[in-house]
Parts: sequence; structure tokens; C-alpha cells
Amino acid sequence: MSHDDDPVRVLGLSKTFYDEGRGEVHAARDVSFSCRRGEIFGLLGANGAGKTTTMRMLSTILQPTAGDAFLAGHSVRSEPEQVRRKLGFYSASTALYPRLTARETIEFFARINRYPEEKVKARVDEMIERFSIGPFANARVEKLSSGMKQKVSIARTLVHDPPILIFDEPTVGLDVLNAIGLVDNVKTLRQEGKTVLYSTHIMSEVEKLCDRVAILHGGRVLACDTIEGLRASTGRHYLEDIFVHFVADEGAGARQLLAEQEQRELANLKA
Amino acid sequence: MDFRWQDVRLFYVREVRAALRERSIWVNSILIPLLLYPVLLWVMLMALTFAQGQEEKFVSRIAWAGEARPAALERGELADAAKVEWVKSGGEEADRQAILAEQLDLAVFAKPDPAFAGNLRLELIYDAAKERSAKARERLRAAAGEYRGLVLEEQAASRALAPAVWQQVHLQLVNVSTDREKGAFLLGLIAPMVMVIMILMGALYPAIDSTAGERERSTWETTFTTAASKASILTAKYFYVASFGLVAGLLNLAAMAITIPMVLGPLLAAEGEDVAFRIPLASLPLGLLAAALLSLALSALMMILAAFARTFKEGQALLGPVFFVSFLPVMLVSGTDMQLTLGWALVPISNLILMFRDAISGIYNWPAIGLALLAQVAIVALCLFLARQVIRFEDVLTGSYGGNFQRFLKERLLSRRGKQPAKEHGA
Repeated sequence: MSHDDDPVRVLGLSKTFYDEGRGEVHAARDVSFSCRRGEIFGLLGANGAGKTTTMRMLSTILQPTAGDAFLAGHSVRSEPEQVRRKLGFYSASTALYPRLTARETIEFFARINRYPEEKVKARVDEMIERFSIGPFANARVEKLSSGMKQKVSIARTLVHDPPILIFDEPTVGLDVLNAIGLVDNVKTLRQEGKTVLYSTHIMSEVEKLCDRVAILHGGRVLACDTIEGLRASTGRHYLEDIFVHFVADEGAGARQLLAEQEQRELANLKA
Repeated sequence: MDFRWQDVRLFYVREVRAALRERSIWVNSILIPLLLYPVLLWVMLMALTFAQGQEEKFVSRIAWAGEARPAALERGELADAAKVEWVKSGGEEADRQAILAEQLDLAVFAKPDPAFAGNLRLELIYDAAKERSAKARERLRAAAGEYRGLVLEEQAASRALAPAVWQQVHLQLVNVSTDREKGAFLLGLIAPMVMVIMILMGALYPAIDSTAGERERSTWETTFTTAASKASILTAKYFYVASFGLVAGLLNLAAMAITIPMVLGPLLAAEGEDVAFRIPLASLPLGLLAAALLSLALSALMMILAAFARTFKEGQALLGPVFFVSFLPVMLVSGTDMQLTLGWALVPISNLILMFRDAISGIYNWPAIGLALLAQVAIVALCLFLARQVIRFEDVLTGSYGGNFQRFLKERLLSRRGKQPAKEHGA
């Protein structure tokens, strides 16, 4: 159920694009959900389900073909800059500027995202302290290890104190320890009252983190509930089984899903 | 759209700070423009001095056959006589082989001139592909000319005639241009042309770095998910590219102004040409304006194309033709002494080169200058308009054309599908 005061309200978002090889592709179809304050909301789906497209529309990188979404009360269509001011966006494809130092990076994002100038220095120091960046704060990002980069990435995402955070497949490419560290950081954000949208195809992350989850397939939201609610409605315990229950025809199961995914990837390759 | 100069400043400082930490940008935008002339001219001077020294040092080995050598040549009275070693001829074929084998530099076959008894007809056999042989031919020709003069003098003296009587025509050269004007002419030929090349080089790497480079480093989305508007971000990037082009152009101009008088001046003086190289202060505002307008136009053009590239390599491939296209107007006016006219004022790039060149020579055709500046401002405006049209397309910003500008033209502008929704990268 969507309330007008929910920090994130997604209302019938759709995205269609034209591809020479595949013709019209509907990457997201009438996607709707809402997220509450202090909630971690998961978007769960296989590759090509439409998670990244949805997240990109919410972060205003892409314009929706239809529908709208409101983040902290601002429309992604008509107020993209205001949306981005209230948003921290973190994904595997948002790297850091390699030639800036860790401190310069965090400072830059505080200022460009309009954190009050007189408080920038203190806030940057706070982030450096919180994520133990101090020993390498003045080293260039290109020289840092992937774990160090990840700390700086989270610090730059949080430095302007946004009420809403988007994590799009954040653990892709991270080793186990760094992935655990990231998940722990996301948990802390919930305690701070942030609204977190977390997209992933890793079931264990959803089970550990998410208060509610939307299952996406073929650009559509097939189900949206708490994990307990999903268990109750499907009669299955494991999230993998719940996922397959929603996205595949009865009897065909995961094998059919895999075949469909391979077909999509082949079509992409030909295109 | 929420355009803020504060955001432009923040992004500009971020781009410049990062660029100054990148070696390839330092080299192409700062070091090469600054050091190209001193190093190039120094190398040229050293090479010339070395070549001249080598040439002066060696003795030409010349074989003489047929009629006897004239007495003056035999006695070694001529200027370059000490640099000639007369060797015995082994016959035409043997001498030819010796020249090819570099054992001999020149063979002279002296025959009586059938047209006038007492005259000699000299047949010179040499190898034009060899420096020593060409030099030997030059020395013998000079000696023959000198010998001819001596004979004429002797003949005149035997008839009690002064040389002035048979001289007939005496040339006296009076150059009405001052040393400074000669310098301005030479500088005008070189400086504006090279300035265009340096602006292109200075802007090239920043143009790719700020577009394709961001994609390659996966920082493109990081940038576009900040609270700054697209317009603020792209304006900052544009100023960054244009300012590096401008800095490269101006550094190059400064390097030329310092180096050319120090190196080329003494070199020309050694050849008997007194030339004073000085860029007149009055020409500097026009030079600065020309450099700024060129940087703005070329940067916009480069960024439009580089925006399609996903990697640095694709960016370099896309910008290659810009160099070629920008250089055509340079070639049109280089090496000529034409001046800026109302007609030329309408030809982009050529107009600014001519304007600056005239200014260096102290020529100010104000109506043509005004028209040239207006035309160039119009070109900048056109480039910016094109850039605005291109970035309207979401899929250009998300890099969906695989570094292929033709594909964009085909799909977006030439096909009806252009009106359909944008293809999304990575959907």
C-alpha cells in the first residue's frame, strides 16, 4: 500500500527502447511500489529482469517512457536535480575518480550535492573517521585496494546525508569479506532511519537485509511483500523456491528460466 | 533546468585537478606546446651546424681527363682550390664505377669546343644521390665560373679595358623592409598556423578524457547522479577542454616568441640576413581572441564526437578526422602572403589565421577583422547548438552507439525510428 508521505513512491514506471536486432524492448513495465522511512526494500530479479533500468530511472539517469516516481516528494520526471540532492546512488558501475585522493573525493561529493558549506569539513572528517579511511585519506583513489575503494564509495554516497539510498547490485565484483562489510554498512543505515532500495540477484543478501522485497521478472513486479508474507502466500520456505514459484510456470521451474535468460542473452549478442 | 555556476566551478576544478595529475595530458597540453620550439629549433641548429662542418671539412676528389687543365686551376689560385684533390682519371667507365663505389667524387672530361676554338667544353660525371659528389660538382662549377672571370679580366686587360666596360649590368639590391618587418613576415607565416595545431593537440586529450575517458573508468554515472544539472556538468567539461586548448595555444605562442629570435635570428644572420623577430604588443589582443575563439569552436566539435566513444581508443579514432578537417583551412592560407579580406573573413579558421598574421605584420583591416570575429562567434554558436541537439538524446549520454557516430546519424537523424524511444545502454 502506498502512502503519500512514503519517501519513495513508484507509480507505473515503464521504459521502452528500440533495438536494431530486437525491435521494441520493454525493459520495465508498469513498475509500482513504495518504500517507507527506515526500511530496506529489495528488488530481486535475474539478469535482464529490469532492476538496473528501474534504479536508473529512480536516480534520473534515464527518463521513464511512462509513469512517474517521487523521491522525498520530488518527481523524477520534472525535478531530477532535487531528486538527486535527496539521493545517494551506489552501484557496481559508479566508480570513483581515480586521480583524486580519498579526501578530495568525499569533499567534492559533499559540495556538489549541496551539503552546507560551513559544515563540509566536519562532515568529511566524520566520514573518514566512520569508515576508517584516515590512513589512506590523502592517497589517490587509483592506488587504493578494492576494499579501500569500497569504503570511499560508501562515504561519498553518504556524505551529503541523503534520506534515500539506492544500492544497485553493490556486491558485484567484491570479494566475500568486502561484501560482508558492505552488507553490514547497509544494515547500519536502516538504524539511522534511511530509506534504502537494494537491488540484487543474490537471495542470501535479500534474506539478511530486506524488510520487504519486490520480485521483478521481464520488467514487471510479480510480487511485493515481506519475506514472511511471501512464504505465507506461496507455502514455500526458501527464497529460491519462492522466486521460482513466481517467475516460472509450474513444473518447468528454474530450467525454463535459465533457457529464457540464455535466449535473451543470445538476442543481445546478435543485436 | 537547475543550472548553477557554483556547480560549474566545482566540476571544472575537479576536472582540471584530475587532468594535471595525468601524464599524457601534461605532455600534450603543456610540455609539447612549451618545449616543441626550443627543442625542435635547437635540434635543427645543431644538425645544420654539424652538416655544414662536415661539408666544409672534406676534400673533393676530382679526376680530370682530356684537354689540359687551365693554368689557374693547376696553380691552385681559385678560392676553393685547397679543398680539391686532383686524381688521375682511369677512363670514363672506370671513373663512373669509382664514383658509384664512392672512391671518386667527380670526373671531368675536357674537350675542345667545336663552336669556338680555344674554348673548353667540360663534361661532369657525378652522383647526385651522394652529398660528397654533389658538393664536388658545386665546387668545380664555382671554380669554372671563377676561372671564366679571370680569363675575361685578362682579355680585357690585354685590350686596355677596365672591367666596368664589359660588366654592362651591375645589380645593387635595396630592401625597403626593415629587419623587424622581415621578422614579422616570417613569424606571421609560422606562428598562427602552428597555434592551430597546438590548440588541437591541447584540447584532444581533455576532450576524450572528459567524455570517453569517464565511460572507460565507469565514472560517467557517478558524475550524472550528483545533484548538479546536466547543463552545469557539460558546461564545466566544455570549459575544461577549451581552457586546455587555449593554454596549449598560448604557451606555444610564448615559446615561439622567445625561441625564434634566439635561434632563427642568429642562423639567418649567418646567411647575411638581418632579421628582428618580435611579436608586436598591439597584435597580442587579436592573437588572444583568435586563440580563444578557435579553442571554443574546436573543443565543442571534439566533444560532440568524443561523446559517442566508450573508450579512449574509440575517442582517438573519432577525433582523427577533426584534425584533418581543421587543418584544411590552415593549408589554404599557409605559405601565401595573402591578407584578410571580406571574403576570407567568412572562411572559418583561415580567417583567424589571416587576422593574426596581418596583426603581426601591423596590418589591421578593421571591417574584415570585425566580420571574421562575427563569423567565428557564429561557428562557436553553431557547434554549441549541435552539441545541445546531440545531448538531448538520452542514449548518447548513456553511450549506446558503440563509438559509432555514423550509426547515430543513421538511426537518429536519417531514419524514422529516430522518433522512437531511446535505446538504453545496459538495460
